[in-house]
Amino acid sequence: MIKNLINKIKEFDSSADVEKRSNKLFGFAALYNTPNEVIEAAASVAGKGYQKFDAYSPYPLHGMDSAMGLGKTKVGYFAFTFGITGTFLALLMIGWMNGIDFQNIIGGKPFFSLPPSIPITFEVTVLLTGISATLGMLIIFNKLPKINSPLNDTDFMKNVTSDKYGIVINADDELFDENDTKNLLLSTGAYSIDNIYYRESNLTTKTPIFEKKFIMAIILTAIATAVISYFTLNWVLYDTQPFDWMWLQKRIDSQSESNFFPNKFGMREPVNGTVARGFMPYEYKGMPDSMVKLLSNPLPISKKVLERGQDRFNIFCSPCHGYQGDGEGRLRGQFPKPPTLHSEKVRNWTDGNIYHVITNGQNVMPSYAEQVSRDDRWAIIHYIRSLQRSHNASDSDLPK
Amino acid sequence: MSFDSTYTKELPLVENNPTLRQIDDAILLPTQIKPLKGWWIALGLSATALLIGAVALGLTFYYGIGMWGNNQPVGWAFGIVNFVFWIGIGHAGTLISAILLLFRQKWRTGIARFAEAMTIFAVMTAGIFPVIHTGRPWLAGYLIPLPNQNGVWVNFLSPLLWDVFAVSTYFTISFLFWSIGLIPDIALMRDRATTKIKKTIYSVLSLGWTNSNRNWSNYERAYLILAGISTPLVLSVHSIVSFDFAVSVLPGWHTTIFPPYFVAGAIFSGFGMVSTVLIVVRKAFGLQHIITMNHLDTMNKILLATSTMVGYSYMMEFFIAWYSGNPFEMFAFANRVLGPYNWAWSIMVSCNVLIPQLFWFKKIRRSIPVTLVIVLLVNVGMWFERFVIIVISLHRDFLPSSWGIFYPTITDLSLLLGSFGFFFTFLLLFLKTFPLVSISEVKGVTEGAQPTIHLHPHSNGYPKEKA
Amino acid sequence: MDYQRKPLPKKVGTIGFTLLGLGLILTVISFAVNTQRALFDYLWMFMFMVSIGVGSLGMIAMEYLAGATWSTPFRRVSEFLASIIPLLPILVIPILIGMHSLYHWTHPEAVAADKILQWKSPYLNITFFYIRLAIYFIIWILFLILFLRNSQRQDETGGAESTKKNIKLSAPFAILFLLTLTFAAFDFMMSLEPHWFSTMFGVSYFAGTVLCSFAVATFCTITLGENGYLGKGIRKENYYSFGALMFAFDIFWAYIAFSQYMLIWYADIPEETFWVLMRMKGSWAYASIGLVIFNFVIPFLVLLPRSTKVSPKLLKGISIWLLFAHAYDLYWIIMPSYYKEGFYFGWSELGAMMLAVGIIITVFRYRASRTNLVPIRDPKLESGLNFHLN
Repeated sequence: MIKNLINKIKEFDSSADVEKRSNKLFGFAALYNTPNEVIEAAASVAGKGYQKFDAYSPYPLHGMDSAMGLGKTKVGYFAFTFGITGTFLALLMIGWMNGIDFQNIIGGKPFFSLPPSIPITFEVTVLLTGISATLGMLIIFNKLPKINSPLNDTDFMKNVTSDKYGIVINADDELFDENDTKNLLLSTGAYSIDNIYYRESNLTTKTPIFEKKFIMAIILTAIATAVISYFTLNWVLYDTQPFDWMWLQKRIDSQSESNFFPNKFGMREPVNGTVARGFMPYEYKGMPDSMVKLLSNPLPISKKVLERGQDRFNIFCSPCHGYQGDGEGRLRGQFPKPPTLHSEKVRNWTDGNIYHVITNGQNVMPSYAEQVSRDDRWAIIHYIRSLQRSHNASDSDLPK
Repeated sequence: MSFDSTYTKELPLVENNPTLRQIDDAILLPTQIKPLKGWWIALGLSATALLIGAVALGLTFYYGIGMWGNNQPVGWAFGIVNFVFWIGIGHAGTLISAILLLFRQKWRTGIARFAEAMTIFAVMTAGIFPVIHTGRPWLAGYLIPLPNQNGVWVNFLSPLLWDVFAVSTYFTISFLFWSIGLIPDIALMRDRATTKIKKTIYSVLSLGWTNSNRNWSNYERAYLILAGISTPLVLSVHSIVSFDFAVSVLPGWHTTIFPPYFVAGAIFSGFGMVSTVLIVVRKAFGLQHIITMNHLDTMNKILLATSTMVGYSYMMEFFIAWYSGNPFEMFAFANRVLGPYNWAWSIMVSCNVLIPQLFWFKKIRRSIPVTLVIVLLVNVGMWFERFVIIVISLHRDFLPSSWGIFYPTITDLSLLLGSFGFFFTFLLLFLKTFPLVSISEVKGVTEGAQPTIHLHPHSNGYPKEKA
Repeated sequence: MDYQRKPLPKKVGTIGFTLLGLGLILTVISFAVNTQRALFDYLWMFMFMVSIGVGSLGMIAMEYLAGATWSTPFRRVSEFLASIIPLLPILVIPILIGMHSLYHWTHPEAVAADKILQWKSPYLNITFFYIRLAIYFIIWILFLILFLRNSQRQDETGGAESTKKNIKLSAPFAILFLLTLTFAAFDFMMSLEPHWFSTMFGVSYFAGTVLCSFAVATFCTITLGENGYLGKGIRKENYYSFGALMFAFDIFWAYIAFSQYMLIWYADIPEETFWVLMRMKGSWAYASIGLVIFNFVIPFLVLLPRSTKVSPKLLKGISIWLLFAHAYDLYWIIMPSYYKEGFYFGWSELGAMMLAVGIIITVFRYRASRTNLVPIRDPKLESGLNFHLN
């Protein structure tokens, strides 16, 4: 079977591939032996006023542009436009991404500054200039790809790609006349003149690129590529860890069992009587109020301390107790309302009592020992005292 | 440009005055015949090297970068050395194809295509290393500034990101340059093709190119623009590579001359590599009349010039290290000469600066065996230059307690070997597939190829008078 | 080629002498009023003349070395410009006399109090400074004499002999050119701030020098060519390469300047940044931004299109522009050591500039009156005149 296939391929490979030509004339193709001849011929064809003609040579001939009377090529302007666009796009990209949207301090540098942006700006400029010059030259200016041009696959083309020079005058030029044009070409010293006819496919189809099927195929391919690459990229970037055992290495998590120690605890217990550095246990834990009264506030009253106390109070206490300590907190209705702090009972408490409540909690109030440091608790107490005083002020409290 | 002994006439760029069709035949021959034995041997060797590299790469992927020898304090070693080395190799191609085009050096036509191909393969080789050096190459997508669900953007302040832009731009532009150069030659191959499959393939690849002058006119301009932008691009690429080091504060890395110094070194090493391969290829494919002795002579002169520039930079670094009065700077350079890696430094200086000075003598410039030896040494020397810069500067920096020595592992060495295998495999395949000399360009510079008259459109019949 | 020797018009000499005279008067007054300022101005213009003289000599060597033909018809212009080199040893004398006002490291008491200067003193000391200057001048003058002798002899003998000799000379000179320029830049300009250092400094002065010598050659060549002093064979296209090379070296200058600035900015090491910060102080900041625009952005945009490079008018304009740009560049390098508070440009600076331009024009006219303006029997001349763009 494979042999059959190979034979079929070989058969196909060696089959003649000369597409049928129609009767419609594409133009006259004249061949010349030397570059000077073709330059002179081009100058006289152009001088006669022909517009739709072209010269052909195996390599670019210097001076042919002026002989043909061609204007300057516009590729440069095209590429320049894209290059400038690239410059600004890159600056915008860097400025927005690092300067605005995702600010990070790197080495103490500004979020956006010009010197380190120049390399990438330059690269993007060059990239866009290069791509636009190439694609613009090929697609926009030279109208390529055009594989089925009537000139391809002719003896004329085989000569001008190798070692001869040629001129083609198109039949749809206004001045084209079978006799005159042929005589003109003969008079310029052409050693051979061919009639080039359109391919049949040239006449039946317009441009294959604009066929419905082709456009559909392109769109479908584009969608398929986009979808596949979207999912693949996502998978590769976020969902895979091809070799993940460096990340997921064996270890004993807290609270998990370990066979290494006889008691099978993963964590070690501290030695009896040890205290972590900087940690002082609360010595009145669970003790009755009478004992707690012995605690006194070690912080002296100062403006700074009161401000600190106000700050902490507003953050940690006010949600339930309210900014005034009257129990009108922002959580009322959602939480049981705490009693006011201005009651006779609380006012008669010692500082130690309040401290005890903050540290241990009371009724539904949880302990705030984790959130509020010891000094801050004392500062809060000072602030509560000042709140109490402000709500029960006497005449003697007025400034004189 | 080379002249005859009276300095009135340029030496012919293509020797023996072949006809245009003979040039076609000579250049296209390797693509039309069955490969020679030597080609198979070379391919076998390079494919073996590639395979070894692939195994090492697989191990690196599987076990991680721990397979390599780099560790604190030498965090960058072979991976980055190879990256800089291969990027540098690429620069000769762009120099020949773009800068010499701008300077109207017509001798470039004989070697440009080949050197451009080397650029592309060298950049491909180089590109592998930074990606695998990250340790998680499957996450390389994050190098591109694309919106992502983590809401992060790349860090545009990082020279490593500049590298991403520079190298990818460099590859794209070099590839465009190379491929539009190929179009006319593929059109020629299409017209010479004898079988249908080949013809179809070449027709598609040539985009239906017809050699028409209106097309040539745009084509030449686009080619010139590409050359014009490639020239600063090639400077920028190796400058940005040098920024990877020079923006730091490490003695031996932070010095302002790095950008031009790296560029000169890159061109130097690239020419070394081009010469090495060219000497073999012109012999193997019988192209001595197209890639002539004058080509090698000129390339040797460029090697000499760039070698001197590199030497100048070495000297400046040492002088300023002393002149700065900064003890760390001075130590970094003294350590190069006297430290445990002084053998690497000696190889670097002798291969890069001292030995190429032999090219002052015309006899040596025009002796192929000697040239081959010297350019091979240049390749070695330039690899060691990167080693010296990267490893020696890292292994002893500010804090003597954290000094260390770098030992490469077998994986490191295999990857280095593999990079050569990768490069040469591509190169050998290219030699068989496409014309290794730009046919249309070489034809354009043969004697009598260009018209001797300059005309404008005229209507007075068939003109005889010449302007 | 069709060349008739024509003497330069008297106007040139008058302009030269007027500028020289006015400049001399202003400079003398300036020295009398404020010696230190006058010295800085003088140093600035001295470096400008080094750029033009030595740069032109380097251009001649480059032509021989590269085998370039396009510049052969214009080589004499560079030779005349390089002829100011023999004056440099004389012109340097005021700088040597006033060294203490210019260079901090020449003061023994300053060195004694400064560890870094003590370390540098094997290089930065007056004796060695003199020796180095002597070496530079000997090399420059020697090669100038040899190049010019061979080139002028060719006008009589013809043939390739002189060309070959000069090619042989060019190779060593190319290296010596780079080295002497580098160290001259270190000595005259970098040591103004003796603590500062940059490995790139020599390259950056080299870039400016080459740019400046191309610019001055362009201006002189086109002026002479348009008025028919260079014979009849010269077309617009012959000037193309001047434009292309000015464009190339302008970009190269910008590249070097940017790299140096960016690396110092990024690493942010105090021992390097202070030099840049001096140029960011007060109105110097505007001068620094102006330098980028004046020296890079505008010439870049003007020289970018191909049409500029074949338009003698535009080329002439931009070459004058680039000459000023190089003077600006040197001013930016040298003067912040004197005008520490901000940018300033006054009559004293103008005087120094007039003096320099006057000297260059006078020497040019003197040389041009004694030699053919075109190397008429250079074997490469014909192919140089045949230069075609396509």
